Order: sequence, then C-alpha cells, then structure tokens
Amino acid sequence: MSEKGHFNAEKVFALLFVATVVEVVWGMAGADWNKMLLWSGLGICAFYKGWLIAVYFMHLKFEGWVVKSLILPTPLLILVIYGYVSPDVSHGDDVLDHPIGTMYDNETGGFQNLLLRDEKAHSERAEEE
Amino acid sequence: MSDAIATYDPAVDAPRAHHPVYDYDSGPPVERGKFAIWLFLATEVMFFTGLIGAYVILRSGTAAWPNPENRLAVFLTAINTFVLIISSWTMVRALFAAQRGDRGGILMWLGLTIFFGSAFVSVQVYEYFELVKHGSLPNVDIFWSTFYIMTGFHGSHVVVGVIWLVCAWFKALRGGYSERNYLGIELAGLYWHFVDLVWVLLFTIVYLF
Repeated sequence: MSEKGHFNAEKVFALLFVATVVEVVWGMAGADWNKMLLWSGLGICAFYKGWLIAVYFMHLKFEGWVVKSLILPTPLLILVIYGYVSPDVSHGDDVLDHPIGTMYDNETGGFQNLLLRDEKAHSERAEEE
Repeated sequence: MSDAIATYDPAVDAPRAHHPVYDYDSGPPVERGKFAIWLFLATEVMFFTGLIGAYVILRSGTAAWPNPENRLAVFLTAINTFVLIISSWTMVRALFAAQRGDRGGILMWLGLTIFFGSAFVSVQVYEYFELVKHGSLPNVDIFWSTFYIMTGFHGSHVVVGVIWLVCAWFKALRGGYSERNYLGIELAGLYWHFVDLVWVLLFTIVYLF
C-alpha cells in the first residue's frame, strides 16, 4: 500500500463501533416490529459496516484496476446466484409438500413443526432453570 | 531431426535467453502476492455466498423460524463482534507501523491482533460448549445445522488467520519486515479484514434477523 493509502483508522473504527451498537439495539428492540422494517435496518447497518471494512481496512479505495477487476465481479455473481434461488424463496412452503423443519404426524395426519416444538421445549426448560 | 537441433551450437545458442527479454516488468501492475490473495478472497466470497444462500433457502422454506434471541447468546456475541472489529483496527495499526519500519510497533499491534482474534475464538468455543451441554447439537434441527455450519466455517477461518498472524509476528521478531518490505503483513491483514467482514454479515443474518 502506498502512502496515499493512509486514512484515519480511528474514525473508521468509531463508525464501525457506532454502526454495530445501532444494529444490535435495532435487532433486539425490533423483534416485534414489522419484519421488513427490522430487516431493512439490519441490512443497511450490515452493508454499511461491510463497505467500511472493504473500502478502508482492505484499502479497496486505494487499489488500482487489477485488484478491483478481481473482486468486483463477485457481487454480480452473488446477484446471479440469489436471482436463481429467489423463485424458491418467494414461493416458500407453498410449493413444498413437506415443509422444511416439519415431520409428518401419523396421529393427526398433518405436519408437525419441529422447530416450534423444540422452541416450546426450550422455553419450558429455561423456565425450569 | 529438425534444423534447429541440427544446427544447434552450444557456444552460440546456449547463453541466449529462451524467452524475449523486456526492459519492463511484464507481470500485472500489482504485487503477485496481492494479486493471488485477492483472487483467493474472490473465491472465498463465493464460498460464503453459497453458505448464506443455502441458509436463506432453508429458512424461507420452513413454516416458521424460531427467534434467534431465544436460542442464542446475542449480547455475548455482540461483544465478541466488537472484539473482532477491534482486532481489525489493531491490524491496520500494525500495517501502518510496518510502513514506518517500526519493528516494535509491528510486534505490539500484531500481538494485540492475535490476542483479540484468540479471544474471539475462545468465546465462540465457550458458546459451542454451552450449547452442546444443553443438547443443542447440529443434528437436532435445521436451525442448529445451519448455525453450526456457518459459524463453524467462519471460526475455522479465524483460527487460520490467527496462525497466519502468529507466523507474521515471529517473522517480525526476526526483523523480517522493513519500511520497503511489508507485503507479508499486508496480505495477512487483507485476509484478517475479510474474516471480519464475513462475521459482520453472519452476525446480522444468524443472530439478529
């Protein structure tokens, strides 16, 4: 890294620190909020922190075209991958005969959600403790 | 026998270079080590993209996903996230020290980075022990499977990073870096910051979403 690669590391660190505090508070306080509102706030914080680390700490800002051409195609490939999986995500369990995380219950003839069953057992155990 | 072999004269032909000799460096306009590490990091981006993509699919396919706050130690992990961010900052200070040729500074800041990186791994191992003690094993359900896969792969990357930093620290101790030769620290730093960046995203996705 050349001399032009110097930046105020303490300032970037402080921004990362504040963004993490905001993110954690948002995530813990917003558990009952609208999911889109919760996820949007968390996504913005995570993206901002990732951007700070990549641009300053990994000094992408100061690199030439060779390094940028190596790393910049990866976000495009990420978009392609998520573009291909998004149909599955958007359909969710509507298209699945056997939703992920469930087990067929012979007695009721329906699907029992293992995750929620374990969640209930977990809560009961926590209360006992 | 070809003409080239038939007419080969060692006295004339042997000293001749077997490739064109340029008066400029024909390599990429960036250090080869840096070129290689960025290429490697690009593959790592795709690796973690695959993991996170699988998580998104599985999570979206479930009828209902448990609240991570009910199962995981979010506050403890938030502190651990701070520890990793601090280690990234100390890594930057180590590189700045190397660029000044400050051997003592390199040893101090690299040592701190190793300390904070080890602390991060230790807290993660403690978290795993606590979870396993309460029966939260990877084969229990899809939540734990994805949790262990993603945090486990990231943790193994942190361990590799710590080992790399320890090697760099010993090289610095022997005076292996100077004002003009600090590429080794820069490469270790790039890997370390990448590991930090991945954790910033994983923490949000696994613990807060």
